[in-house]
Amino acid sequence: MMRGIVAFLDDRFGSNAGARFVLRKIYPDHWSFYLGEFALYAFMLLVATGVWLTFVYQANPTDAYDSVASLSRAAPIGYLMRQVHHWSAVAFVAAILIHMARIFFTAAFRKPRELNWVVGVTMLILASLTGFTGYSLPNDALSGVGLRIADSVLLAVPFIGNWASDVFTGGGFPGPLILQHLYTIHVYFLPVIIALLLSAHLGMLVYQKHTQFVREPQNVVGRRFWPDYALRTLAALGATVAVILALAATVEINPIDVYGPYKDWTAPNPAVPDWYAAFLDGGLRIGPSFEFTIFGHPIPALFLPAVVMPLVVLSIVIAWPWIDAAFTRDHAKHDVLVPPTFAPWRVGFGSGLIAAGTFLTLAASDDAQALAIHQPVQSMVTFYRILVPLGSLLVGVLAGLFARELRRRSAAHGTESERVVALRRNEHGGFDEEPVGSAL
Amino acid sequence: MTRAGLAIAILFAVAATLAAAFHASPAILGWLAAIAAVGITLAAGAAARDLQAPDDLREPRHARGPTAPVPEPPDMATRRGAFGRLWGIAAGAFAVLGIAPFIALARKPAPRGTAWTAGARVVTPDNLPVRADTLSVGGVATVFPADRVGAPESATMLIRLPSDVLRVQPDRTGWAPDGNVAYSKICTHAGCPVAIYRHASYELYCPCHQSVFDVLDAAKPVSGPATRALPQLALDVDAEGYLIARGDYTEPVGPDSWDRTL
Repeated sequence: MMRGIVAFLDDRFGSNAGARFVLRKIYPDHWSFYLGEFALYAFMLLVATGVWLTFVYQANPTDAYDSVASLSRAAPIGYLMRQVHHWSAVAFVAAILIHMARIFFTAAFRKPRELNWVVGVTMLILASLTGFTGYSLPNDALSGVGLRIADSVLLAVPFIGNWASDVFTGGGFPGPLILQHLYTIHVYFLPVIIALLLSAHLGMLVYQKHTQFVREPQNVVGRRFWPDYALRTLAALGATVAVILALAATVEINPIDVYGPYKDWTAPNPAVPDWYAAFLDGGLRIGPSFEFTIFGHPIPALFLPAVVMPLVVLSIVIAWPWIDAAFTRDHAKHDVLVPPTFAPWRVGFGSGLIAAGTFLTLAASDDAQALAIHQPVQSMVTFYRILVPLGSLLVGVLAGLFARELRRRSAAHGTESERVVALRRNEHGGFDEEPVGSAL
Repeated sequence: MTRAGLAIAILFAVAATLAAAFHASPAILGWLAAIAAVGITLAAGAAARDLQAPDDLREPRHARGPTAPVPEPPDMATRRGAFGRLWGIAAGAFAVLGIAPFIALARKPAPRGTAWTAGARVVTPDNLPVRADTLSVGGVATVFPADRVGAPESATMLIRLPSDVLRVQPDRTGWAPDGNVAYSKICTHAGCPVAIYRHASYELYCPCHQSVFDVLDAAKPVSGPATRALPQLALDVDAEGYLIARGDYTEPVGPDSWDRTL
């Protein structure tokens, strides 16, 4: 039967040539190359469970909360679907970030793969936005407060703030249309763009071929896709699904019936968003209490931590391949990855950035921490105001020094040569060293 | 091992399907499906290992660029300058045209102000009117204008203070009859409900970003990120002894924005 289908398709499309290309393709193999696949499989779970959830969800302020809350009452599978969907979202963003850290520290973003880095970072941003719009859909007390904050952030943007807020809410918070808008954005707009970018991401990967640690720039060195790599990635798919299902079955996430439906005059305490949005909340908590005016127009205190800070950080991250190239004066093409210790300053910068994100995320629960250690919240705010800049700097410097020491040791032991040369016999009977492409 | 893995996958997938059909608990359902997925991982992992396929197969990397430039028809090349720019401007014009409908998406700005009007009775979220002595000293309640419970931006914190502690602002004399002082419940920082009242220190506390407002001193921010005091609602008592508003808030309620000038 399979043979029949293949013959049918090949007769009409000549598809065997394409199939041969796909199945015989060689992929470099390393455990860290599976991190992106975890994100891909989490996305597949999100689409599968998400489509199911659209059959239940009602996008209007009156019915939204009940349509989601009744999932758990009506059928256990509905509750499980929502739990799997939410856990997949959490795992999706986490896998993207870890994958991105691997790309960063091994310098896989270098020429000729800068654009794929940009596509990847864009997907991270869209994934976070999809997550935020998604957990706002149930219209529960926690997410409603989050939406209100998001609306306030929109309002804080100069010039277009009020227009953007009106478009978003349908005219003043909470607005009759906000859930409907969120539904469109969450279900049609963002996932479709993510799917398109994902295709571009993988298309570029196949076309430009995967990077590798093996220092043989002229060849791709690795495993054949069929059946070797296909089985491995199938194992990765099974593992992703298993972990997410087990988490969904065991640890309740976003218990909306505990929060209750949203009323704009109630708020849960403490109120903390999903983890990938928490760094923004942390920024809002420790941001300066400072408002100024331009030509009589207020620039609210939210503007700096919630608009400027993320835009600046994301611009740097998106532009990183070019910043890195300018910094290293390395504009050559690279297909071979470096060990992270190869560039201690890059390790330092990346670790510092991760530390800053982590500290800001921790700052988003400063009230709970203050309660736990019996200190006033204001002391925690002061602590984080110092920790975020200085702590990140310290982590960055220490990580850089650590990487430099590791690099020194491996060089001393001769375990890892950073120079790859070909030896060529010369006319005097000796050997000349000849650099092989750009090894790293 | 491959067979064992596949057996687990089949067995538990069937079990999970049955569990779903018989409305088993989400925990059982989830774990059965998770174990089925583990079976796939075991089977695929074992099969890949059993292949003992080499991990050092090679295929040449072809440099993808740079390649030769695309030749242009000669007549295009000579007239390129002006035409190229015009094409670009046309594309830009259409891009702007594409944005135009989104500008129109903004509805008429919601009328400023809240649902509070002069003479509106102060009610609890159950729409029960509040008398000047309904709250005991130290008491606190969320209140709305009568019959407008839940109206946007109108949520208000009513606090009954001991008679002499409030530092009355010169222009706000008589706004707090019998110690009933009312402030907007919408935080001036990011719009969260300022839902927590700290009795001991007479402070309102926002659970979102920990702004603290001094209830005794016109709800001015004393710590946290807020920059503006919570607007105060002027109260009065009507002939029947119920609390009423003297009018709408005189300052903007909620977070600041570009267009919200004081």
